[in-house]
Amino acid sequence: MNIQGKAKEQNTFDAIVVGSGVSGGWAAKELTEKGLKVLMLERGRDVVHVSGYEDMMKESWDFPHRGRVDKTAAEEYWAVKRTGYAANEGNRGLFEKDIDHPYKEKRRFDWIRGYHTGGRSLMWGRQSYRWNEKDFTANLEDGNGVDWPIRYGDLAPWYDYVEKFAGISGQKENWDVLPDGQFQKPMEMNCVEQHFREQLENKFDGRHATIGRVAHLTEPTEEQTALGRGSCQYRNKCIKGCPYGAYFSTQSATLPAAKKTENLTLINDKIVYEVIYDDDLGKATGVRAIDQNTKEEIEYFAKIIFLNASAINSAWIMMQSKSKRHPNGLGNISDQLGRNIMDHHLSSGAGGVIDGWEDKYYYGNRPNGIYIPRFTNWGNDKRDFLRGFGYQGRAQRKRGVPTDATFGATLKESLTIPGQWTMGIGGFGETLPSESNLMTLTDDKDQWGLPVIEFDAWWGDNEQKMRVAMRDEAIAMLESAGFQNVNGYKDEEKSPGIGIHEMGTARMGREEKTSVLNKNNQVWGAENVFVTDGAAMTSSSCVNPSLTYMALTARAADFAVNELKKMNM
Amino acid sequence: MNRREALNRVAILMGGAVSAPTIMALMEGCTPKDTASTPFSLSADYQSLVAEIAEVIIPTTDTPGAKEAGVGPFIETMLRDCYSDAQAAHFTKGLKALESKSKELGGSFVSLSSEQKTEVLKGMEAAAGAEKQEAEKVKEIDAETGKVKDDGKGAEKVTPFFNIMKELTLFGYFTSEIGATQELDYVPIPGKYEGCIPLKEGQKAYAL
Repeated sequence: MNIQGKAKEQNTFDAIVVGSGVSGGWAAKELTEKGLKVLMLERGRDVVHVSGYEDMMKESWDFPHRGRVDKTAAEEYWAVKRTGYAANEGNRGLFEKDIDHPYKEKRRFDWIRGYHTGGRSLMWGRQSYRWNEKDFTANLEDGNGVDWPIRYGDLAPWYDYVEKFAGISGQKENWDVLPDGQFQKPMEMNCVEQHFREQLENKFDGRHATIGRVAHLTEPTEEQTALGRGSCQYRNKCIKGCPYGAYFSTQSATLPAAKKTENLTLINDKIVYEVIYDDDLGKATGVRAIDQNTKEEIEYFAKIIFLNASAINSAWIMMQSKSKRHPNGLGNISDQLGRNIMDHHLSSGAGGVIDGWEDKYYYGNRPNGIYIPRFTNWGNDKRDFLRGFGYQGRAQRKRGVPTDATFGATLKESLTIPGQWTMGIGGFGETLPSESNLMTLTDDKDQWGLPVIEFDAWWGDNEQKMRVAMRDEAIAMLESAGFQNVNGYKDEEKSPGIGIHEMGTARMGREEKTSVLNKNNQVWGAENVFVTDGAAMTSSSCVNPSLTYMALTARAADFAVNELKKMNM
Repeated sequence: MNRREALNRVAILMGGAVSAPTIMALMEGCTPKDTASTPFSLSADYQSLVAEIAEVIIPTTDTPGAKEAGVGPFIETMLRDCYSDAQAAHFTKGLKALESKSKELGGSFVSLSSEQKTEVLKGMEAAAGAEKQEAEKVKEIDAETGKVKDDGKGAEKVTPFFNIMKELTLFGYFTSEIGATQELDYVPIPGKYEGCIPLKEGQKAYAL
């Protein structure tokens, strides 16, 4: 008994954070800085900042297949491969082998994972946009999903807060559809992108282009340099890990801040699969985990718990957390847990070439493109679908100029000359919440004896109609701007998950009977459990979601600590 | 989907966050491994032959050519690890055909004059064109799905010899240290980004 008591004491903290990705890192930073003793549990291995980025300084010729996916990797990374880039030789080390972590597909779902310290904060695209006012009222207005229990005004100060710390570079534009933030110096557009921006302003009412807003330091603050972060070096090898700490990741930013407080304990290799709920106390008391290597079962205890395991895995943990008060999983009186899976649908857009600017070039590899904010169903624009999409894209000079030589010295020479300018833009579309898009636990078990997930989600009619507009408007805009040989595309072979923006499995709402979380990201009926990753999202907007996860997490952590001080937890 | 289109798509998908070699690397997906296959390898003669053909495609000029850049062994590695058995076998068949064409001109390809080598390779190029045309002819469009039906023979579609030889040569050369650093402008750590600057006299395209 005595030993057990001691073990329990050792495993007891003020707060537990499950997961170490974008939102988990923020939870750990905020809670430790507010004085709590925090345990961060990560299911995968540790990746140490800089020294853990194994491929970081490698060149193309250091890889036997020069980056391509070999046959063995294609089998091991059968889902990751579907992205078209993430299973490549030079960066797959940070993605998860799907054969080791099986899941099932009633309909195809591209679940792309990163189980290690930092999670997908090491591989994300770093595009960082605020939601706008209407993103929070759209559900209420058109009757899809439930109403958000918060509005833009609730989140705006927290956007300010996280942007200043994370370091977002971008251009202030004063557009309602894409609220400005606390930006560091924007990256430059190249000549053809500038031309495109001007043409869009001249030829289309209410359509704009701006340089992408990205979590890369261009003017590091004192706070950022004190954490060991420096400016972007324009290598554009971000997906291998950034040795300069220039892009925001858990490793570069939130983890060193949390460690500085000396209040953080990070434990790796622990797969949390259940929240322990005490029916007598009416609250959660801890979590159960299994060691991924030794398969040892272990329990940890705390006053508050933050679930930041990613949208799918946070819901997976909650589904396994059953008690008298929560017979269908934690906070699941509504039966909404695991439902309303959203992602951004993409792979619809256009590309073309343009004559001119042969005497112009650029220098450096910009880890960023341009952004065209939503214009459909905005202002006077009305469509046969709801909501809208934004575009991401870029212009660049091709390598090589045309020659009649198909081999030999002339061909060799021609391939070394900067060629024609090309430009491509691709849509990111909003997905409507739908209860029939869901994940369930199956009877199949993984190597740890834990239930395997099955996905059953697909794009609806609204998304399908939107995809046509995503392609056709892209063609129209490029052609109007003087591009030639414009190719439109609308890929039918992509499925939900491919945007790697999973959202909505434990949505926020105003009532326990229709949602899983309240306006403070607290689980209904387990108010000392907070879920602040993509699971919490009530709708999906069309802009990249990570910045919103950061703001929601900082806001919820502030609320949690205040409640704790008031002895309400 | 053509190469350019695919390249554009991926660049867009990542918000421009993927480097050029990374994009190039995914242009040709590898097909899943066949069960119980023996690893592909080339005989010593064929190894020299592949290196020699690559050198004709990307010859030594004032910079080193494909041979010095190690393109020959690279092609063998790629065919073994990244391509299907059917594709690798089709490639070997191509080598055989090329050698018999060379014999008609007096000997093994390696022993021919550079004019003769060019002539043989032109022949292989024309054969590849014909092979592709033939493949197009048997393609049938499914009325319901609008997709191209199986070619009817149930055979896997393979890329003609010359095309795959050329593609792997160019890919291998420009991603090799020689190709990237001597033939292109290689800047490992640019340190800054300038979006719109005058093109310098003699500026080569960037390696990345």
